[in-house]
Formats: sequence, C-alpha cells, structure tokens
Amino acid sequence: MGTFRASDRLAAEELFHACYPRLAGWVRRLVDDDDTAHEIASEAFTRLLARWSSLDNPQSYLYMIATNLIRDHWRKVGRERRALRAVSATIPAESVHHPSQDVDVRALIQGLPDRLRQPFLLHYYAGFPIRDVAEMLGRPEGTVKADLYHARARLRAVLGEAHG
Amino acid sequence: MDEPRDDIDTWLEERVTPLQPHPGTFEQIRRRARRRKAGRAALTAAGAVVVLAGAITVPRLILNGPAGGTPVAGSGTSTPARPSSTGPGKLQSTGTPGQATSSPTPTPTAPPPVPPNFAASSVTFVSTSTGWVIGQAGTPGHCGPPNANICTSVAATDDGGSTWHGVPAPVTGAPNGASGVSQIRSLDGASAWAFGPQLYATHDGGQTWAHIPTHGTRVTDLETVSGTVYAVWAKCASTGTDFAAGCTTFSLYSSPAGHDNWSPVPGATGLQASGGAPGTAQLVLTGTTGYLMTPGGQLSSGPVTSPARWRTVTTAAGVPVSLPCAPGAAETGGHPLQAMLASTGPGLVLLCADQASGNRQAKTLYYSADGGRSWSPAGSAPARSIAMSLSGTPTGPVLVATSGGIVFSTNAPGASGALTWRTARGATAAGGYSYVGMTTSDQGVAVPANVSADAVWFTYDGGAHWGESPVR
Repeated sequence: MGTFRASDRLAAEELFHACYPRLAGWVRRLVDDDDTAHEIASEAFTRLLARWSSLDNPQSYLYMIATNLIRDHWRKVGRERRALRAVSATIPAESVHHPSQDVDVRALIQGLPDRLRQPFLLHYYAGFPIRDVAEMLGRPEGTVKADLYHARARLRAVLGEAHG
Repeated sequence: MDEPRDDIDTWLEERVTPLQPHPGTFEQIRRRARRRKAGRAALTAAGAVVVLAGAITVPRLILNGPAGGTPVAGSGTSTPARPSSTGPGKLQSTGTPGQATSSPTPTPTAPPPVPPNFAASSVTFVSTSTGWVIGQAGTPGHCGPPNANICTSVAATDDGGSTWHGVPAPVTGAPNGASGVSQIRSLDGASAWAFGPQLYATHDGGQTWAHIPTHGTRVTDLETVSGTVYAVWAKCASTGTDFAAGCTTFSLYSSPAGHDNWSPVPGATGLQASGGAPGTAQLVLTGTTGYLMTPGGQLSSGPVTSPARWRTVTTAAGVPVSLPCAPGAAETGGHPLQAMLASTGPGLVLLCADQASGNRQAKTLYYSADGGRSWSPAGSAPARSIAMSLSGTPTGPVLVATSGGIVFSTNAPGASGALTWRTARGATAAGGYSYVGMTTSDQGVAVPANVSADAVWFTYDGGAHWGESPVR
C-alpha cells in the first residue's frame, strides 16, 4: 500500500484546510442541508487523497469529483421524491422545499444535461478558467465555450418562461 | 462580451458561505482514503497470489476515545533537527534488522522481528502510518552482530503503530559522552538521521547507515523539511548519558536531505549563553521558515526553502528580541527544559518552565503571531508535574508532555486569551513522557520518559485520548 510522504501529507492537509470550507460551502448551495454538503465534500477529499500521487491539479480534481457527486445526489433525491409521490398522492409534487432563494436557479441547473451542467458549475460557479475546465472535462476549449453558451441560453429561456 | 444581467448572474454572484469541517474530518478522510488504497492494492495483488503465507496481524492498539472506534493509523512527528558534515572519512555501516549490524540483509518475505526489550528513546513519523523508533534493545553482550555489546536498535511501522518490524541500526551504542545515538528523525521513510550525540544518516530506508563526522561537536537537535535537513552542532564537555548537559557553543548546520553534504548556516554559528554557561539550543521548522532558540534566549530565523543567511529576530524597532525565558541546560535527550519552543497554527508558542518545587512547576506560555518579533502571554499550563516536551498542532492547540502524563489545550493561543487545559486520558506511562509530537492536528505520538518501557503512545483525537503501542 502506498503511503504519504511527509511533504505529501503536509500538502494534503494544507489543501484540506485551504479548500474544504469553500468546497463544502459551494456544495451547500447545490444541496438541501449542511450534512449532505459535508458528506459530499468529505467524499471528494477522500477520493482525492486516494489518488493523490497521480494528480497534477488536485483542486480541479476535487471540484470535478464534487460536481459528479452532486449530480449523483440529485439523481438519488429525484428517485426518492418520485417514489414518495408514487406512494402518497397527497404529497405535492415539490414537497421537499429548499430553504434558500437559490432553489429556482438551482433546480434549473439541476435540469441541465450533464454535458452542459458540468462546465457551467465548474466555470461560472467554481470559477475555473475555461482552459482548466476544458482540461478537466477532456474537451476542446471551443467546445466548452459553446457548452457554456448553450447552458446559459437554456437557463435564460426557462427562466423567461417561468417569469413571463 | 457583456451579457444582460439576469437571475443566473444574481445566483452566481451570491457569495459562497464557507462551511467549516467538523473536528477530526481530515483524519477520517485520510483513514478512508488509505483503506481504499489498501483495498485497491489487495484487489490488484489478488490476481497474482497463489499461496498466502505469513501471519495475520491483529492491531494491538486500541483507543477508547469519544468515538469509540479503533484507530487505524498512528502519527506523530518527532522534532529534533540534525547537523551534518560532509566529506572524507565517512564510515559506512549496514545493519541487521533491528540492531546494529554490518551487512545488508536480503529483502525478506516477512518483516524482520523487533529485538526483545526495546526501550524507545525517540520516534519519528513521516506520515500517519509510517514511523521509526530508535532505542536500546536486547541484552548487552548478546546484541549485534557485529558487536555483541552494541544494542542500538531501530524499529519501523507502516500501519501507524499497530505492528512494528526491525530495521538495521547504526553501529554505535547508547549515548555516552561524545559517542552513541539516541534520537531519530526521518524525512520520507528513505532518508533518516540518528543523532545525539553522534550523527548517522541513511538514504535507503535504514539498510545502510553512514557516520557523519561532526569534527568534535555533538549533535543536540535535528529537523528536516522540504528537502533540507538542519542540525545543531554543539561543543560540549559532559560525560555519561547526559551528552548535551555541558554544551556551551552551538552552531546550525544544514545539508540537502538526499546527500550528506553539511555546511554551517550563515548567521547561526558560534552561539553561546551569557557568560559561556552551559545551555542548549532548539530548532523549530515550519514549511517556510526555520527558527533557532539560542542559548542566550534569543531567536534566529531564516528561510528553509533557500540557503539564505539566518538573522536574529528583532522587534519593530530593530532591537534583538529577548525571549521571555532562555532554554537553560538540556535534559537527557538534548532538549531544553526551561524554555520550549514549538510552531502551532500560524504562529509560535513558547513554554517557560520555572524551577520545579517537588512535583510542581509553574509553566507559563507565550504566543507569537509575527515570527517571534513580539510575544503575548497565553496563560499557564497546570502546575502539577514537570514539563518535558511541548508540541503545537496545525490548527493551534498545544500539548505538553510532563513527568505525570500529557496535558492539552482545548483552544489555540492568540486572540482567545489564555489557553485552557485538560489532562489527557490514557497517557499513563509511569514517569510520564519525555517527548510529545503531533503529526497532524488529530494524530500524535509520545515517548515515555521511562527508558525501560517498550512502547510508545498514540493519540488520534488531538491529544484527548492516548493508547499504548508496544514496540515488539
């Protein structure tokens, strides 16, 4: 089993202290509660540390994992809500209310296809440059720019419908 | 291209509110990551394994901490720094696992055992799982080869102290005047240094040890960070086991960690206590800066990432800082007893220990957030027992090893005012502990003061609870 060198351990701990609060806060705006945010942030760091020695850009990897974990979480919650509605017709369609004002936009982002949602969250929300996002997703920069344009267009269109 | 502002922009521009991790989160993550790596390694190996021979190891280390869990990995960083010298005359020695020996040992299929009666004097951890301990083991007259009277031994762990195995040791005895070694520090599991008072280095995980000539001086402290090793070389006159008791002149040396190429650190040589009285010097390294508490009660510092000159730390007015206390004479392991320096969180912490009265001793702490230029009182540690060692943590709380156990602060020094203290549970070694060091904010290791104890102690919860790990 590979073990951390002291320098790796210190670097990992420094990265944790530097990045965890913001990552967890970032996740928190995309999920319903603090516990889930901590779970996802912790799991992202666990996967990061398990692959530490083979990574060139740990922070990018961290947010990439978190983005995927958030997607999985949304899918799981969606399944649960559908199952809940199936057994209880009295429960309104969106009975699990999100406390924050983020919900409208968040729900719309949630509805984006993976192809558009990932670059949207990584670039606009996590703040990674398009070049980094392209590298993280293995897509040409031009493709990422196009994906971002389409994501915004789709979100704006749905928002327009909702507010119109 | 300016896009019209909309709800999306509003949402995106809303500030992310950081969520602070719960205590212990990082160590939980590290343990989980290690289990997954181990699982992957096992799966990888499974395809090739035909016969599995060997012993099933049951972890012996059980802590009854608040979480009630079984710790997975131990940790602890031991802190001495090392001096070095380069040059001709290096003596190369190799060893039999566990004790001082003279020939390399073929890679065994099972780890070599730890010699019996291992009396640990120093420990070093390079990660929460990998650490080395040095001490004396076996019975004089029945040790070696190559010398039946040399019983210096090294043991290592790869699982945080759950199990230990023997590692070849330097061929030298216990401290006796200018000869012998008692302390150990490792950088990465490959390079390590045994010192106090002599200096030995290995760069192959302990398979071979090279004696580093120190030109008549004794190595009293050693630390390594970022590819460089630093050590305090002292001119001493004492005899017997207290090799650092009569040291009067101290110089800081450094070497690239991967090579034995030692040279004096400019600006940190020829340091003496007032009037040339016996004293000691203590080295503390952070990731960027090194600090040397001088025998005269001043502080020198310099960058550890470049070979720049070290300078005396001064006040804003340019006056050399006089620490609230001076280190005084050294204890058996070479560490100061009257002033103990450690890095903690973003700053430095200093413990000033008064003259003991019976089993009581006033212990006043000070904190510096500006690299030692100014110091603020941080309260007092419990007066019972005699302070032996001080350790900080990455998040700020500090620990003190004493003749009666271990105490830890529940807060970090700084704006919060005086430190508040609690007594650690499970730190029950008779005679207390000569050393405590924290590898992370949660995980640490302590060496019992009783040199006949064949164990070291670990904590996994920031020092609140400790468990014994027999070195066997």
